[in-house]
Amino acid sequence: MSAAGEKDYQASPSPRLAPGAGRVVGQRVTRLEDAPLVRGDGMFAADVSFPRQLAMRVVRSPIAHGRLLSIDTAAARALPGVHAVWTAADVADIPPIPFRATKVRGLEPYCQPILAAGRVRYAGEPLAVVFADDAYLAEDAADLVVPDIEELPPVLDATAEPAEFLPGHSTEPTVVRKEYGDVAAAFRDAHAIVELALSVGRHSGVPLETRGAIARYDASRDLLELHGAAKKQHWNRDEIARLLGRPPAGVHLFEGHVGGGFGVRGELYPEDLLVCLAALRLRRPVKWIEDRREHMVATNHSRQQHHRIRAAVDGQGRLLAIDDVFFHDQGGYVRTHGARVVDLAAGMLPGPYRLPAYRVAGHFRLTNKTPAATYRAPGRFETTFVRERVMDAIAARLGLDRVEVRRRNLVTPAEMPHARPLDTLGTAVVLDSGDYPGLLDTALDRFGWTALQADLARRRGAGECVGAGIGFFVEKSGLGPSDGVRIAVDKTGGVELISGAASVGQGVETVLAQICAEALGIDYRRVRVVRGRTDRIEFGNGAHASRVTVMSGSATYRAALAVRAMALETAAGLLQAAASELSIVDGHVVRLADPGAPLMPLGEVARHMGPDSALMVGRTPGLSAERWFHSAHMTYPYGVHLAVVRIDRGTGEVRVERYLVANDIGRAINPMLVEGQLAGGFVQGLGGALFEEFRYDETGQPLSTTFADYLIPTLAEVPPLDLIVSEQAPSPLNPLGVKGAGEGGTNGVGAAIASAVDDALRRPGAVVSLPILPRTVHALLRT
Amino acid sequence: MRDSIAFLLGDTPRTLRGVDPTMTVLEYLRGPERRCGTKEGCAEGDCGACTVVLGRPRADPGAAPGTMTYEPVNSCILFLHALDGCQLLTVEDLHVHGAKLHPVQQAMVDHHASQCGFCTPGFVMSVFALTQSAASVPDRAGINTALAGNLCRCTGYLPIVAAAKAACAAPVSRDDATTVQRLRAMRDPAPVRLAAAGTTLFVPTGVDDLVRLLAAHPDATILAGGTDVGLWVTKQHRRLPVIVSLEAVEGLDRIVLCEDRIEIGARVTLEALLPVLAGPYPAFAAMLRRFGSRQVRMRATLCGNVANGSPIGDTPPALIALGAEVRLRGAGGARTMPVEDFFLGYRQTALALGEFVERIDIPRPRMGERFHVWKVSKRFEQDISAVCGAFRLTLDGATIAEARIGFGGIAAIPFRARATEATLTGGLWHEATLASSRETLARELTPISDMRASADYRRIVACNLLTKLHAETWSPGATPALAEIAA
Ligand SMILES: Cc1cc2nc3c(=O)[nH]c(=O)nc-3n(C[C@H](O)[C@H](O)[C@H](O)COP(=O)(O)OP(=O)(O)OC[C@H]3O[C@@H](n4cnc5c(N)ncnc54)[C@H](O)[C@@H]3O)c2cc1C
Ligand code: FES
Ligand code: FES
Repeated sequence: MSAAGEKDYQASPSPRLAPGAGRVVGQRVTRLEDAPLVRGDGMFAADVSFPRQLAMRVVRSPIAHGRLLSIDTAAARALPGVHAVWTAADVADIPPIPFRATKVRGLEPYCQPILAAGRVRYAGEPLAVVFADDAYLAEDAADLVVPDIEELPPVLDATAEPAEFLPGHSTEPTVVRKEYGDVAAAFRDAHAIVELALSVGRHSGVPLETRGAIARYDASRDLLELHGAAKKQHWNRDEIARLLGRPPAGVHLFEGHVGGGFGVRGELYPEDLLVCLAALRLRRPVKWIEDRREHMVATNHSRQQHHRIRAAVDGQGRLLAIDDVFFHDQGGYVRTHGARVVDLAAGMLPGPYRLPAYRVAGHFRLTNKTPAATYRAPGRFETTFVRERVMDAIAARLGLDRVEVRRRNLVTPAEMPHARPLDTLGTAVVLDSGDYPGLLDTALDRFGWTALQADLARRRGAGECVGAGIGFFVEKSGLGPSDGVRIAVDKTGGVELISGAASVGQGVETVLAQICAEALGIDYRRVRVVRGRTDRIEFGNGAHASRVTVMSGSATYRAALAVRAMALETAAGLLQAAASELSIVDGHVVRLADPGAPLMPLGEVARHMGPDSALMVGRTPGLSAERWFHSAHMTYPYGVHLAVVRIDRGTGEVRVERYLVANDIGRAINPMLVEGQLAGGFVQGLGGALFEEFRYDETGQPLSTTFADYLIPTLAEVPPLDLIVSEQAPSPLNPLGVKGAGEGGTNGVGAAIASAVDDALRRPGAVVSLPILPRTVHALLRT
Repeated sequence: MRDSIAFLLGDTPRTLRGVDPTMTVLEYLRGPERRCGTKEGCAEGDCGACTVVLGRPRADPGAAPGTMTYEPVNSCILFLHALDGCQLLTVEDLHVHGAKLHPVQQAMVDHHASQCGFCTPGFVMSVFALTQSAASVPDRAGINTALAGNLCRCTGYLPIVAAAKAACAAPVSRDDATTVQRLRAMRDPAPVRLAAAGTTLFVPTGVDDLVRLLAAHPDATILAGGTDVGLWVTKQHRRLPVIVSLEAVEGLDRIVLCEDRIEIGARVTLEALLPVLAGPYPAFAAMLRRFGSRQVRMRATLCGNVANGSPIGDTPPALIALGAEVRLRGAGGARTMPVEDFFLGYRQTALALGEFVERIDIPRPRMGERFHVWKVSKRFEQDISAVCGAFRLTLDGATIAEARIGFGGIAAIPFRARATEATLTGGLWHEATLASSRETLARELTPISDMRASADYRRIVACNLLTKLHAETWSPGATPALAEIAA
């Protein structure tokens, strides 16, 4: 396999699935979403406009930390075309942004108000908002708003001793602790102890579409609408209603096209509430579109952590215990996620390895930076880097091969399901299924690992600085508790599938349509998927935590099977046959004995089940069903990342020459989409490993506010990529056997590249932080 | 004098008058036209979501009559006057309503090259432009060059590469002849003056006109490709009362190949320059391939890069090392000076009021000459240099007959390393000379520390470029082959 091979992109052939089914699930069908997107007909937030709309512009703090003494808005108010200028005093009746996902108490004082009151806590914090006839005017007026801020020294280092962050409140609201086994004894009896200090830089999702929110109030129906929503429509709807003192049914959220989510979009942000409030008060539609520079300081950051980790091992390199203390740099407020990322990091750190004893303390620390929350593989990208650094260190310490150390510690299939006395996100960590060593072998084999080592040795001999690296990861997906789907067949045989899921661009509509079509026996293109709107379905859990395919997919499967059963039952009556003799193929009822001869189109069956049909007298009409899927446990995808890097000795630049991601996801509904997730996730991971970092100067000024300063990978950085979509370990926890595929591509990149850079430098343990910058590598080359 | 501009929007003629001359094409499309297919991801030329295609009749001597060129450009930093006499194509123009997708669009679907779809219209237009210009299916490097200016956060790019290859394998040509005819019919040779919203923008058509206008408005902002000036307006919200655009000035778009030099006019874009330099100075061309992105190079000029006076401009180090000269013209006539003398201080140049850069002359390579330039940055494409170093060595056997060295990104102005040149000149090009020249260079450079790189890193990397130069140009016992420098 040559590094510069013509084939940039290799995909594994996907095995056909469950006998009997298999017409469309498992197929690489093209997406239902694509036609409007490639034509430019997509409707993203900035594309939504309403007559008479006002533009909102946010005035943001130029200072990282200070006392907000006053804000002079007179000049802005006086500008013709300006309708209102608000500061905290004008929105004092609106409570701060609440938490969605935390059980940790004591975080309330750290919630973000929708406009800063009394104190500013990060550069970019909303201080005031201007409403004007158009965006240009609003921007001009915003420039005329003058805040008077008395600067205070900023807190920028999350590893510093806890101090006062606010009067009476510490920089450390909580420490997340988890522990099991006899850690002290393990360290006492250890053959060897490795100890590392590791850090991951501040970076984030940075979708190509910035955020946007457009609200309008229809007084005739007393209805408030918010457009530009994403990810968590129902929760956000309920909270917006509560915070604005309205009944939930009087507020509706609409998700159009969404230009990438990655964890950051669709959380409830101050701007969402501000446009809603303004639409109610000003009685005109209000539109806010974030610009790129705002995005870089306003939308959630992520990842920044410092770990001090120790591992105790026996003489064979087997883990006896891990003891980790880490510091999570949260930024100036605690947003909707509460301490979720810390909890995930603490709960997921052990990964794929047998770990008899474990203790972790995650220090949740406030700093004067943009607030942080989840980004694709939250808590896992970080801890996979940390854990896999530890595995490499153990190998180096004991003089073992890096792969062998991992093999000795991997949980085996015989040990599945593997319960850890540990919880995360409020559920017990039970690794549900998997053949970790098997996938490791498959991946190494496919990558040509053994031959590669010889080749690298030869190249090093010729003076090149090259190396290979490995990272093994465990993901989590399919967070419960429940999701529902409603499926209805119309008289033409068209199917409407209404789900409480959301889509942030990952192909949800196609996947749900495929599952529905599979179970129902129709063409997937006949399924119209409705998602991301609160006015069509009462409940929904949106799209996050790689849960849609698992949760909404399973609900879809059940609902479609129910519709199928109803259709067959009705058709049996009409055709004077037994339902068990019938099936549905290509949208037609057929006899099992003669599937090639269509007897009746599905639309015809639906017509017979209409409200005016004689058959339906005394029954609930409609060829439709609603089904729910509940799950108390998460399912755990897993995989391997392998990398080859080359380092330029003159400049310290790291180039990834080739890469492999192997990910077992139980079952691939559409392998092409899974590969898309893995490839896209990988490139995001590559950014975090080598390029992306939100940097601040010593006064807390953000330095990375444009794409020229915050470098997301371009095409040129992307190496030839080999993908293995493995289906060896279907999840026992859902009827489809699926596990989420959204985050495995990102999870292990930092780990594998760090390992490869070490190998190239011939210095185990050289890499201690991400991103791995040229100047760091360059310094390593010189020492 | 006209107070309007005329162009084809797709196939529909448009005449605009009374528009704000600093309105961008993106604002125009999404605003008055309500064509929202073209997206804004950054509004500063970095992401390519706003890519549109400018079609114009081919003017180059070898062109078949009735054919067009299609240039992908960033509409977010392009002012409207640039549309005059062109066809503007956006993603909405590719497919016929109700009909099938355009082959480029279909390829994007077939290869799963769109996920969230926000970057997709920009990619579709870049790939479309590529299909119109590529003679054959480009390799990965060719596709990298064509698509470096388009960011995607979802797909990991590889499916887009596959789609681009597929689309280039079966390009669909447009009805160029008809478009050329229509554009010819619309063409109005009169100079343009657009005045609105506190800005007056002139588009003169002759050099004399240009000189007169600049004399009358000595404080005017000269506008070439606008890849710097565009940002002053869209990001820094600077009001520019008077702008004089070079867009239509006859003659300034010429590249003249003289015996001893190449003359590059003020309107010559880097994309046009690239193939011309590829012969004599492949290293310069390779560096230009990493300058901005294709969309940026379609507009950015060499003269604008120099006139901009930025310490991190990428071409001045190479121009200094090559001994290039800049020719200035004003009401008082023309004058010529070495490029290094053009830079006086941080963003200060020798340009007098009412003067403009008419052209830059690059000497042709001479026997025994070796030229190298390296741009060191974190990301390969579209990144600002931490250090840019350029070297011209003239070797006489193993002796260095002459050395010229230019550096960028290390001082307030592009820097000529004269002391290091002196250390090298006359010496034998072996390890000892390398070592002493490294020492001189380390002393001579006084780089700054900023977020891109520390002073130390910059200094060491600069010295390492000397070592790299040595490795590239020195093989013991061999004199450089003439073929390597042949034009
Ligand atoms: C996304 C992006 C990427 C970029 N990447 C790079 C890069 O990699 N390397 C790099 O060096 N630069 C880069 N730039 C900056 C810019 O593209 C260059 O400086 C470019 O060469 C400027 O040329 P222009 O024709 O667009 O100049 P303009 O923007 O039109 O003008 C620039 C300045 O020069 C003056 N000027 C222009 N022409 C003349 C003339 N003939 N006479 C007198 N004054 C004149 C203008 O008044 C103005 O002050 C980038 C810009 C963007 C937006
Ligand atoms: S919007 Fe990003 S380049 Fe134009
Ligand atoms: S598909 Fe989302 S940015 Fe490219």
